[in-house]
Amino acid sequence: MSSVAKPSVGYLTIWVWLLVLLAAGVALLAVPSKTLAVVLIFTVASVKAFLVLRHYMHVRHQPLMVYALLAVPLLLAIALTIVLLPDIAFR
Amino acid sequence: MSSVAIAEHPHADSREFTAQPLGKVGVWWFLASEIMVFGGLIGSYILSRIAAGGWVAERAHVNTRIAIINTIVLVTSSFTVVKAHAAAEADDRERTRWFMLATVLLGCTFLCIKGFEYSREIEHGFTPATSLFWSFYYTMTGLHGLHVLVGIIINFALFLAVGGGGWPRIKHRIEYAGLYWHFVDVVWIFLFPLLYLA
Repeated sequence: MSSVAKPSVGYLTIWVWLLVLLAAGVALLAVPSKTLAVVLIFTVASVKAFLVLRHYMHVRHQPLMVYALLAVPLLLAIALTIVLLPDIAFR
Repeated sequence: MSSVAIAEHPHADSREFTAQPLGKVGVWWFLASEIMVFGGLIGSYILSRIAAGGWVAERAHVNTRIAIINTIVLVTSSFTVVKAHAAAEADDRERTRWFMLATVLLGCTFLCIKGFEYSREIEHGFTPATSLFWSFYYTMTGLHGLHVLVGIIINFALFLAVGGGGWPRIKHRIEYAGLYWHFVDVVWIFLFPLLYLA
């Protein structure tokens, strides 16, 4: 690909990893602690998203501008949730 | 970019900004705005869920098995679309066409399964008016499904275009369509645990 060259890890390998992580995420429902299970499930989801971004969307080959473009709305969305949280949690 | 440089490149795809084709920069901008759309929705869901109890009982009525199958379908479509992009970069039109077609069919399968899931839920009395959880459920999955539908239309148009002229431009567009499709996949990667597991 113009901005991609040869992938260091095969696309098929990433696909298999995504399925393995999907199975792992579902298996985490068996964790007795509900809070720990939720944390682990979303950690696994984040790893899956990272794999898609890095290997399928080739973000690692993109210029800094693309990182900035994606980071700003992501941080805004997270900040929006966090700043509203005290009002929800402590009222 | 100077107007002279633009005049030298008649096609929008060949103009560049920070060493990126303008079309690609446009797609990244669009995806950035989409992060805010889905980020706002997901943030509202999390806050509403913390504020009001009883959502775990509501969540127990969604069909996790169907959602797992749909996740496999969508992840596989991400694989086929990146293979289409790789084939396009290798100038292999035939493989590009097959992988684009596979992506379209997998996207249609996703929507059919989702439609089946909706029909079962509505049959059991779970509509957007049932509770806040179901309202969020239909809004989030519905908006995501709409994105899948748009992706299917774009990919199908490109599938048809691969056989025609203007191949260099179509190659770029396959990459852009792929970026959009992967983004839709990433959104589902988070919607799945939010609505079906947590």
